[in-house]
Amino acid sequence: MPELFSPVDYAIPAFIILVIIEMLWARRRAPDKYEPKDTLTSLALGTGSNVASALGGATVFALAIWLYEHRLFEIGWVWWAWPLCFVLDDFAYYWAHRTGHRVRWFWASHVNHHSSQHYNLSTALRQSWTSYIALSFIFRIPLALIGFHPAMLLFVGAINLIYQFWIHTEAIGKFARWVEYVMNTPSHHRVHHATNPRYLDMNYAGTFIVWDRMFGTFTEEVEGEKIRYGIVKQLGTFNLLWSVFHEWIGIAKDVWSAPWRHKFSYMWRPPGWSHDGSRDTSDIIRARWLEKHEVEAAE
Amino acid sequence: MTAELLKLAGSIVAILFLAWLARHWQLGGDARIRNEDDARAIAEEIVCGFESTDVAIDRAGIGALLRDAEGRHLLIRRHGALWVGRLLDRHSETRLDKSFLTVGTGERTFGTVTLNLGEKAQYWAAGLRHLQV
Repeated sequence: MPELFSPVDYAIPAFIILVIIEMLWARRRAPDKYEPKDTLTSLALGTGSNVASALGGATVFALAIWLYEHRLFEIGWVWWAWPLCFVLDDFAYYWAHRTGHRVRWFWASHVNHHSSQHYNLSTALRQSWTSYIALSFIFRIPLALIGFHPAMLLFVGAINLIYQFWIHTEAIGKFARWVEYVMNTPSHHRVHHATNPRYLDMNYAGTFIVWDRMFGTFTEEVEGEKIRYGIVKQLGTFNLLWSVFHEWIGIAKDVWSAPWRHKFSYMWRPPGWSHDGSRDTSDIIRARWLEKHEVEAAE
Repeated sequence: MTAELLKLAGSIVAILFLAWLARHWQLGGDARIRNEDDARAIAEEIVCGFESTDVAIDRAGIGALLRDAEGRHLLIRRHGALWVGRLLDRHSETRLDKSFLTVGTGERTFGTVTLNLGEKAQYWAAGLRHLQV
């Protein structure tokens, strides 16, 4: 096994420099693109996420090693394994991410990344503390069973994470058509972070947007439409611990108070689902919005 | 272990520096509701399809109360450089003190909001006390 370095460790200084450059851009062009308290919360979430990874990562890595010991194919460290592993890991990321939005259990962890009403490079570092508790790794770890070494999986996963950093910005418009067709870009990812009804639960891609195009979850950013970022029910606080645990607390309260036959549904159904129909899922919000627009168009 | 702790300490210093820089460069701005159209637009962003028929804006523009044709009441308030809001129900806390109306949503993290609504304060307080849902 080759000696692999941690790409994220090398990327962190670049992350800091790029955040400062974007802040300078905001200072000149749009000061409200940053909010100091929001920035602090986002960055603290990022640091806490690193601590959580240090605590939980070893267990997951050990599990991946165990799966690798029972691997189906002997892939090894040949050169073509690297790009193949990256593409397959990105494919797995797409499904992990999609499930992270469509199943409340996984959303409780992933919501941390979306709970800022701002969309800037500091938002990219707003990462979950509870992804290990949510077992979000189950989507990507099967690649070890196929025959990709866990160290290789860790490496390509880190490259994917680094790629996704720079797309969290409003400072970049759109790229050439072929780039926008294949790659996840700032434009596509703005859509993903938007709460505008037309954009809800779209563009789950990590690096390659082609997965969304293939599986019917792609939506183009509409020029001239103001994007609102965050979550449907905005937090309304910069409290770090509430930002981390609010959805878990919400699940616990709902499971506690729901009738027995509905308890499990509050964990596996989409965020916003309720047994008495008193809340709205993203599908309901979008349907209501579409209905309103169709009525307006007919008038 | 020492290296990990040093990395953590470095991260904490870096994030404090970046947050300080954002404040030092006065990022964030001073969001205010300028008029009823502003308030309506914010309300529609917060609750998709909320078409307000009645609006009361705080005199400093830091919050507002809106009502729609269905009788729903929406409280909006400033949150950093942006806006947040909550639909109010009969459990919402309301306190009237002359022209000041204090509204609580029951969410501790959302907090209570005191709006200077002038002469409209009493009218809106009565409306909130008669919420059915």
